[in-house]
Amino acid sequence: MSSAGPTPPGKPQVKALHCPGCGASLTVRSFGNAVTIVCENCRSILDAKDPNLQILQRFKAATGEYRPLIPLGTRGKIRSTDYEVIGFERRTIYVDGVPYSWHEYVLFNPYKGFRYLTEYNGHWNDVSILKALPDVQTDASPPTVKYLGETYKHFQTAKAETSFVLGEFPWQVRVGESVEVSDYVSPPRVLSSEATGDEVTWSMGEYMSGKDIWTTFRLSGTAPEPVGVYENQPSPMSADTRKIWVAFAAFLLVLVVMMIGFDMLARNEQAFSGSYKFDSRDHADASFVTDDFELKGHTSNVEVDTSTDLNNRWIYLNYALINEETGQAFDFGREVSYYHGYDSDGSWSEGGQNDSVAVPSVPPGRYYLRLEPEGDPQYGVTYYSVTVKRDVPQYSFYGLALLALLAPAILLTWRTLNFEHLRWAESDHPPIKLGSSDDD
Amino acid sequence: MIRNLYLIYGGVVLLGLSAAQYRGWSLATINEVKNVPRSVRDNPGSYRSIYSSFHHYTGGK
Amino acid sequence: MTQPVGTCPNCGAKIVFRWSSSVQTVCEYCKSILIRTDVDLQKVGQVADLPPDSSPIQIGTEGTYNHQGFVTIGRIIYEYELGSWDEWHLMLNDGTSGWLSDAQDEYAVSFAAPGRKLPEVVQCKVGQSFVWDNQRYEITTLTTAHYRGVQGELPFQYWDKQDVTFVDLRSQTGKFATIDYSDEQPALYLGEMVEFESLALKNLRAFEGWS
Repeated sequence: MSSAGPTPPGKPQVKALHCPGCGASLTVRSFGNAVTIVCENCRSILDAKDPNLQILQRFKAATGEYRPLIPLGTRGKIRSTDYEVIGFERRTIYVDGVPYSWHEYVLFNPYKGFRYLTEYNGHWNDVSILKALPDVQTDASPPTVKYLGETYKHFQTAKAETSFVLGEFPWQVRVGESVEVSDYVSPPRVLSSEATGDEVTWSMGEYMSGKDIWTTFRLSGTAPEPVGVYENQPSPMSADTRKIWVAFAAFLLVLVVMMIGFDMLARNEQAFSGSYKFDSRDHADASFVTDDFELKGHTSNVEVDTSTDLNNRWIYLNYALINEETGQAFDFGREVSYYHGYDSDGSWSEGGQNDSVAVPSVPPGRYYLRLEPEGDPQYGVTYYSVTVKRDVPQYSFYGLALLALLAPAILLTWRTLNFEHLRWAESDHPPIKLGSSDDD
Repeated sequence: MIRNLYLIYGGVVLLGLSAAQYRGWSLATINEVKNVPRSVRDNPGSYRSIYSSFHHYTGGK
Repeated sequence: MTQPVGTCPNCGAKIVFRWSSSVQTVCEYCKSILIRTDVDLQKVGQVADLPPDSSPIQIGTEGTYNHQGFVTIGRIIYEYELGSWDEWHLMLNDGTSGWLSDAQDEYAVSFAAPGRKLPEVVQCKVGQSFVWDNQRYEITTLTTAHYRGVQGELPFQYWDKQDVTFVDLRSQTGKFATIDYSDEQPALYLGEMVEFESLALKNLRAFEGWS
């Protein structure tokens, strides 16, 4: 075989190291790329020209730059099977001249065969070779691939070059070789095709968290934090978003039923009505009280409607709804104004001749109104009438409730869309930027 | 998990809505005054409204 | 295997290197630091190793395919530019002959399918498709290989060490086909990819350190 790797088949050739001075045990220390061998007993340091030390030095120089996060020889369980890490590869693609590199680990079990782990920026994938060919739909734009009932969307095609390799691979891998790789995603899965002139291989990957990798291989420390959104990283919210909208639809139904229900339950009856005249030129005390009337039923609201004949005038009414028995009063003021005219833009009007206000949580009982009107002293007479209605439906609250129910659903949807936007920004099909000024 | 939180939240909103409808809550600015004496019925001018001495002009365009 | 095993030159105990090109280890018994002198340091980081004979199947392995029992009676090791694979010759219970292809522990069972229309080897290109027995196959691999070794009983007497082209095809249903262009008359084998578990293999080779 002309292209053999660093190790020939057969038994390894081994030499033992011992201190030339006292024969005691030696410690290997590494500083940067240098390797020193020190005798713990007599503190003598092995001669730098020692051929065995040179082996360690050169090995360190060849392998020091890229360290596999999972050391070769480590074992871990993937899908209830023990695998051993036997190989490591660093691959690089160039997008717009910028290099992006990821790492691949070869896992081996003598009875189950080979699996692969890929790692990019803290995102991991559990990859295995497909036995059957997926169905490539070339006419779709962008292209899609169907496999086992799932549709995968094209994410990226690039030429991947091997930049570093350690250990064993089931096929020959050499630094400098490149293949064309295409990724199709359906989070959390991804389908990849690797093509050389003579061969096409399909594999499927499933997203894994660094935490799970560290647990299964019992690695020390913590996994590196993932950066950005990876092509097949599952969206943490998308399933929730759908569920929330379903819940919202249910709430909407309940809301409509409540609206109809409360409409029917409300008394909505007139308790009092009276008509009055106010002359603003009158300097005497304008306050007066009405006859008393009954507000029936349970504690509920009271609507006080004022209708006037104002014409380019205003009136201010000090109201007090006073409980005859308990002395409890609800004090409020209502300004009513109506102006209208005609100018170069056409006719205009401002305000209205009528006003309506809801007094909250009024206990039942006998009540009367105390009114004190005010107006511009020049204007003169205003005719107005006051109507009191008991237990009136308040539609504005339904609007508020609708907004309150809508807000979390919209917020979650926005976050899901933002996540997907980040995902596809890295692909061959980036989404159109919405309103941002700078590009890269 | 999030769905359940939303269901609880929505339940609270609708419960609040029911209370508002039943008890007749309102967004209007109303002040409650206690212990208005009976004498106000005979002498309305004696009632001290916090809104008295209101002079407000809103003109037209 | 993947972890090269040797003997400690100091005390004779068994020593293991963590991975194929690892140059350093410590003897568990005498604590000597041991260095490998046979690793080609020029190639470390540049060229990968190939796993040594990693197939779990051996002559005499028994299994089941399509409700029929079989015994492995022969083996051909093929070698090509990027590696090697095994073709295990199977004898089924009903006396028919079949092949179990074992490539990096990916398995396919196939049987000779004579009398079909086959393309010329020069016409074959990756991605081309053909239909045999109402099934569409697409070419996935073109391999130029030669024999590296043989074991046991094989259905032919003679082979040479020349390079030969093999064309592998797959279908969307997991079927597998291969055209062997070693003879004047190209030979077609039709079959399918199989999962290791589905063969229910017994009498497998034992690997040290693996249960």
